[in-house]
Amino acid sequence: MSIELLLALTTGAALFGVGIYGALSQTNLVMIMMGVELILAGAMVNLVAFWRFLHPYTPAGQMFVLIVMTVMAIEMAVGFGVAIARFRAKGSVEMEEAVELKG
Amino acid sequence: MTAQMFFIGFFGLAAVWFGIVVFRTFSMVRSALALLFSQTALGAMFLSMQAEFLGVLQIMMMATEMSIMAIFMVMFMMDPGGLGTMEMTHQKRLSLWAGFVSFVGAVLVAIFVDWGPIAATAPDAAQQTVDLGLELLGRSMLIFETAGITILTAMIAATAVAIQPIKRSS
Repeated sequence: MSIELLLALTTGAALFGVGIYGALSQTNLVMIMMGVELILAGAMVNLVAFWRFLHPYTPAGQMFVLIVMTVMAIEMAVGFGVAIARFRAKGSVEMEEAVELKG
Repeated sequence: MTAQMFFIGFFGLAAVWFGIVVFRTFSMVRSALALLFSQTALGAMFLSMQAEFLGVLQIMMMATEMSIMAIFMVMFMMDPGGLGTMEMTHQKRLSLWAGFVSFVGAVLVAIFVDWGPIAATAPDAAQQTVDLGLELLGRSMLIFETAGITILTAMIAATAVAIQPIKRSS
């Protein structure tokens, strides 16, 4: 296995781990979204590394990265929409105060 | 050590370090800027891996996305400057364990899986863009169009959720 691929996959794993920590530990909605962004960034690094080092002549590999970028944009749009609605209703985006959303 | 290996390692380390800084600083603006630097380092890493189009796209997209995020942080936070060193975390031990276990699990998979033969060369930047364009407007067109429609739907949904409700007089 090449060192370059291992470096890229380790970076992806580290970003994924940091993102998981952020998404689970933060109480603020915008900070939770930052954690999710890091998780998706970890997935993107892996996809680019797989494309470059395993299948560089298959453009579908790059297309998957575009799909992940789309997911990132959608997450931002919907997340901020919810944040605005929440802030307008309760004056805060602290998720510990949102117990009424619990199922 | 090749130049490619050095730059992948360097930008990878920078991306992870700034990712950690996002959750270590009390200032929300610094958090947003750290995330911007992390994503930019990732874009530079893509460039090191010869994915020129994706690298430039990543840097451009994240620069705008994180600027918007910084504005929202200042709008919504009680202490955006972090001067009060307010604690904004919960279940820290569980989160640390979950993050650590995910990291170790993913690294073990990366090390022990047989990934097959490694490709020495990649198409040049111009050829990559041509190939990606043909892929998006050919075989993957349905997925590409679905992504576009989904973004449009998300934009309408986000605006509908965020819009101020009209107060009707009874």
